[in-house]
Amino acid sequence: MTQPVSKLKVAILGSGNIGTDLLLKTLRSAYLDCTLFIGRNFNSPGIAKASGMGIRISDRSIDAIINDPSGCDLVFDCTSAADAKRHWPILQQLGKIVVDLTPAKIGKMCIPAVNLHDCLGSQNLNMITCGGQASIPLTHQIGIIHPNAQYMEIVSSIASRSAGPATRLNIDEYVETTEGAIQSFSGCRKAKAILILNPATPCIDMQTTIFAKIDNPDMEKLTVAVNDAVAKVQKYVPGYHLILPPTREGGRVVIMVKVQGRGDYLPAFAGNLDIINCAAIAAAEAFAQSPRKMKQHR
Amino acid sequence: MKKILISDPTLRDGNHAVKQQLTLEQVAAYAASANAAGVPIVEVGHGNGLGASSLQVGMSLLEDGAMLKAARENLTTSKLGIFLIPGFATINKDLRPALDLGVDVVRVASHCTEADTTQRHIGFARECGKEVYGVLMMSHMAQADILLQECRKMESYGAEGVILMDSAGASLPFEVSEKVKSLVDHLNIAVGYHAHNNLGLAVANSIAAAQAGAVILDGTACGFGAGAGNTPLEILVAVLAKYGYNTGIDLYKMLDAADVARAKLVERTPVISSASLVSGLAGVFSAFSTPVERVAREYNVDPRDILFELGRRKAVAGQEDKIVEIADELARKKSRGTPE
Amino acid sequence: MKNSAHQIIEQDCEQVLTGSVEQLGGMRGETLLITGGTGFVGTWITELIAHLNDHYQFGTRVKLLSSQESNSRFMAPHLGVRKDVEFIRQDVRTIADLPVDVTLLIHAAASPDTRLHASDPLRTIRVITQGTDAALAAAARLPRLKRTMNVSSALIYGAQSWEVNAMSETYSGGLLDCSSMLSSYAEAKRVGETLVAAYRNEHRLPIVNIRPFAFIGPYQRLDRPWAINNFMRDGLLGGPIRILGDGETVRSYMYASDMAFWFLRILLDGVAGRSFNVGSPVGIRLKDLAEQIGGCFPVPIPVECRGLIDGKGKRSKMIPDVGVAETLLGLSIKVDLETAIQRTLLWNQKQSGKNE
Repeated sequence: MTQPVSKLKVAILGSGNIGTDLLLKTLRSAYLDCTLFIGRNFNSPGIAKASGMGIRISDRSIDAIINDPSGCDLVFDCTSAADAKRHWPILQQLGKIVVDLTPAKIGKMCIPAVNLHDCLGSQNLNMITCGGQASIPLTHQIGIIHPNAQYMEIVSSIASRSAGPATRLNIDEYVETTEGAIQSFSGCRKAKAILILNPATPCIDMQTTIFAKIDNPDMEKLTVAVNDAVAKVQKYVPGYHLILPPTREGGRVVIMVKVQGRGDYLPAFAGNLDIINCAAIAAAEAFAQSPRKMKQHR
Repeated sequence: MKKILISDPTLRDGNHAVKQQLTLEQVAAYAASANAAGVPIVEVGHGNGLGASSLQVGMSLLEDGAMLKAARENLTTSKLGIFLIPGFATINKDLRPALDLGVDVVRVASHCTEADTTQRHIGFARECGKEVYGVLMMSHMAQADILLQECRKMESYGAEGVILMDSAGASLPFEVSEKVKSLVDHLNIAVGYHAHNNLGLAVANSIAAAQAGAVILDGTACGFGAGAGNTPLEILVAVLAKYGYNTGIDLYKMLDAADVARAKLVERTPVISSASLVSGLAGVFSAFSTPVERVAREYNVDPRDILFELGRRKAVAGQEDKIVEIADELARKKSRGTPE
Repeated sequence: MKNSAHQIIEQDCEQVLTGSVEQLGGMRGETLLITGGTGFVGTWITELIAHLNDHYQFGTRVKLLSSQESNSRFMAPHLGVRKDVEFIRQDVRTIADLPVDVTLLIHAAASPDTRLHASDPLRTIRVITQGTDAALAAAARLPRLKRTMNVSSALIYGAQSWEVNAMSETYSGGLLDCSSMLSSYAEAKRVGETLVAAYRNEHRLPIVNIRPFAFIGPYQRLDRPWAINNFMRDGLLGGPIRILGDGETVRSYMYASDMAFWFLRILLDGVAGRSFNVGSPVGIRLKDLAEQIGGCFPVPIPVECRGLIDGKGKRSKMIPDVGVAETLLGLSIKVDLETAIQRTLLWNQKQSGKNE
């Protein structure tokens, strides 16, 4: 006799663009059930949309979870770094798993294509940045094949329209967080992240270029490893494409990837928001399918 | 007599012309001669500014700190200036250390439609008591009313002036007049102009800007800079004087400084090559010329085609990775025999 | 402890109340709610009320309503632990209910920070328009509400014509381009005033409108992009004090204690349906202001004019005519500019001295 598959109950904290896009992705997921969509302001378009779809909504922010602790098992925090820091001790106490899409940098850094399994032991996952999600699956491989790589650099171009006021105010944070994560996942001690906003219309999809300074790069090995990594990412980010395979160019290795969003909530060009959301969903789905997680919440 | 404040980025924009390989001796030598000539502000750094040393836009020979120290030691009456683009430079890693080294003037730049990326950096420099200006790059790409909105943002962040940068050297004098006048009429802060010479109009554009009310102008010794080069400073100073403007710069000593630059910095005086002319026509960032020519050779395609395509895609500064992408596409088309 | 810096506030409160305590007698026993209450205005009004409670047994209660974000920037935690002060964490845009014991309401939620207006015009507009609508709708259902006050802005007048010495409440000569995003704050505030009139008409709300000009005092952040703040900050950092332009622009500044007093007096006794300018009618050229500030330091700090365009600087005026407030309510300016500057500098020095 088989039990019906019960989906993991997830709450989305933060009703902005990211939260709303996540909501639409959870609705497509076989493993996740969004039981609560939470913001601070009933006027937000996200809340209006969620409400229109019959999803339970709240404007009480973290209090919505405090007042109904059994309402969810996992929380996506898409508020802000400052708020996420406030939320964490409360959610930790309540035994919730937190997938953190803010730059709060509290939990274990998670790149699903690289370390999803290891992350299941952690109660708070830090989804780093969009540039990190796009590049680290590849820089990680470079670090494995060439542990002596001297330097890695990633340059992300995103459409101006996909960068709202919060992104623009926090570019420094984006850069520093991404650099730290690249170093951590590749073992390479010198890393640089650059972010460029491109105002061209029609809007460009997110594009990330990875440069690496390597003595005698093994191009064949790199190509195979990169193709593998790309395939892994594509499993949870269907719009992730390799547009320039590892190429030796003027003393450096160059790789380029492009991310086209699914267009769930924001237009498809906002691949930068899509990739971090897809990664967050992948992380949550892994918890949903993990027996260890089920045990934790029995 | 009307005053014009000259800012001299020979040791910053000029770094593009030597692929970011300026040495300590070169920095010291030019800084000393600019100081002697009474150049008010000497701007120093990687061509794309603080923290820009990268594979994307070129690794510099010297670290930011080393360049600034070498310049600082040789500037007594002239002010030491830096340039930075948020997204390349951060406050913690780059700006704060630079200010600690005794930088006087900070210019924070963004693409001409993205001024709100400069809020934190302008605010930080201002709070540290520095002279701060905002810079709008590729200013040919936006209409006057958009430029005004972006300038007002920078004004609200604390910039005491905004400089329109014609990064592609694509503007014509009447366009410059129109844009500068619109800003001068509606802003409370100073307006400046930074021209490039791709269409041979750098000096003319600078004069047009001054006559429309700009009070800050940029120029480099011998026009030393990327591609077709910048406004030649010694020429600008002389022509401004003829128009009745006072720059406070001694002409003879400026000519001497240009001689120093010619002897020690410049491999060749900038020439408007066909690639530079094309990039000016295409409205593409001047500093693209060098990597475009290199990649064009590697892929065996016409650099002019790459440039026009970059212009068509509205590539902005920092997107040198697109050059490889486009060259790759053009090479494939060529090998398929499609005469497109 | 805050003692040394706070002494300045206490002295200011006592000074502004001297001989005028009963003008605010209507506050006794009332419950005042301030939206945007943790900002500069709300903080000062709370200080004044705290003083009235402590020294004159007013028994007034204050509720400060603000969003989580604003709350975290509250600069007077010592007020937060008082029994007569309560915090309500609520986004003004979606106020559904206000506490039923509120008898007085000041709607001050908005951000006058021009950096925000430039970087996030939509948010600026929404906070003001949606916020005013929600706050007034909730106010209209309060069973015991006696008086309400909308805090508008001098910017609703548009640019003051140079030939006009001061703008009275009927001034209509200013220009505003409603099609420019740069007018977001001013236009939203104008809609706010229209909302006030509509609520007064449809819901008979007892509401008065004020148009604040410029203020200076403790608790005001010196990183705000206004001339006097910049001058003070430059001075405290050791100078030079930098003026953008030739310094011919004319402004006026009211000290915070006068501001708090005027706000409460107008709330209590201002004729409903009227608008009142609040600010100092005494104008000063920015050049003179900078020099005055520079002269407040033991070693006078030099002043530099930046961006001089051969003397053809851009000058503007923004001075209120406060005849209406003076005549109808007997209000007056008790703190002159010189004192205002000195007190503010002193407070800032004590604040930062303590933080080292």
